[in-house]
Amino acid sequence: MSDREVTHETLMRYLDGELPPEERRAVEARAEHSTELRRELTLYRALHEDLAGLSFDRRTARESVWGQVNRRLARPIGWLLLAAGTVAWLVYAVYTFVSSEAPPWEKLGTGAVVIGILILLASVIYERYREILTDPYRHVER
Amino acid sequence: MQPEVERELVRKCRAGDTKFYEPIVRAYEPQGLRLALGMMGNSDDARDALQEAFVKAFQSLGRFDTTKAFGPWFFQILRNQCRDLLRRRKSRFQVEVVGDGLLDGRRDTGPRSAERSRSRGEAQRLLWRGLETLQPEQREVIVLKELQGLRYQEIASILEIPEGTVASRLYHARRALKDALDALGATYP
Repeated sequence: MSDREVTHETLMRYLDGELPPEERRAVEARAEHSTELRRELTLYRALHEDLAGLSFDRRTARESVWGQVNRRLARPIGWLLLAAGTVAWLVYAVYTFVSSEAPPWEKLGTGAVVIGILILLASVIYERYREILTDPYRHVER
Repeated sequence: MQPEVERELVRKCRAGDTKFYEPIVRAYEPQGLRLALGMMGNSDDARDALQEAFVKAFQSLGRFDTTKAFGPWFFQILRNQCRDLLRRRKSRFQVEVVGDGLLDGRRDTGPRSAERSRSRGEAQRLLWRGLETLQPEQREVIVLKELQGLRYQEIASILEIPEGTVASRLYHARRALKDALDALGATYP
């Protein structure tokens, strides 16, 4: 290596301790005869030292993200349990209502009210979903 | 964390038990935070990216090769998360990370410590400003090498590029950083 230029890649590998001993010695031998190479080595070493001393605001590390991560991971289980429980209760309620001895007009009236509410709820949710898809400000955060 | 302990924890997490994920999160959080801060430049975005990356990693554990270390795989997810966040929010690297205290707890309490702290703070602010001017791919290679202290092989696996490209990208990134610092009035040899 001593009789040709030290490439950028070799220079970086040398500085970062990624060269085998033989190639390291070759770079050092080359540096002894090249002012330009010595200047480059000094520059990158200075940069490396400054970057190694770079610090962050200690407030950043004050609180672990584990709490938020755990909540996010537990949320699907919560939704699943909520959905399963709601379905079970609804099935039981419908069965109790249908098998009750209430007069047919009462069953029809109550059934219409419940179905009406469900249809309205579903249409509002669908409308909101369509709005979200075309909302130009959906990525804007507070 | 011992590799066999980590493997066992990952195996239990794969079964869906989140409580075994906590030691993994706590073990990789400091390094992950440094990477995210270096990539994003401010603590709010860095914490968002870190949190999202841990959630994604947990959800993708089924695809994780347990014969390998969790760290490089996780940092790859985190790096992609930081890039996505920068792209999606159309935000940019924004320096807000330098404060009066140091993350690693090295506090200067000797004589004339206030003066030294002030000049060190100025130097750090200048460095962060320099990093701010770099392209994201230049900044990430600097962060992985200088702030994380990773080997070329590890950086190559995180960035999914050959080791030779890591070296050449580092050269151009350091060169660009030096030019930026020159423009900001810092004196380098």
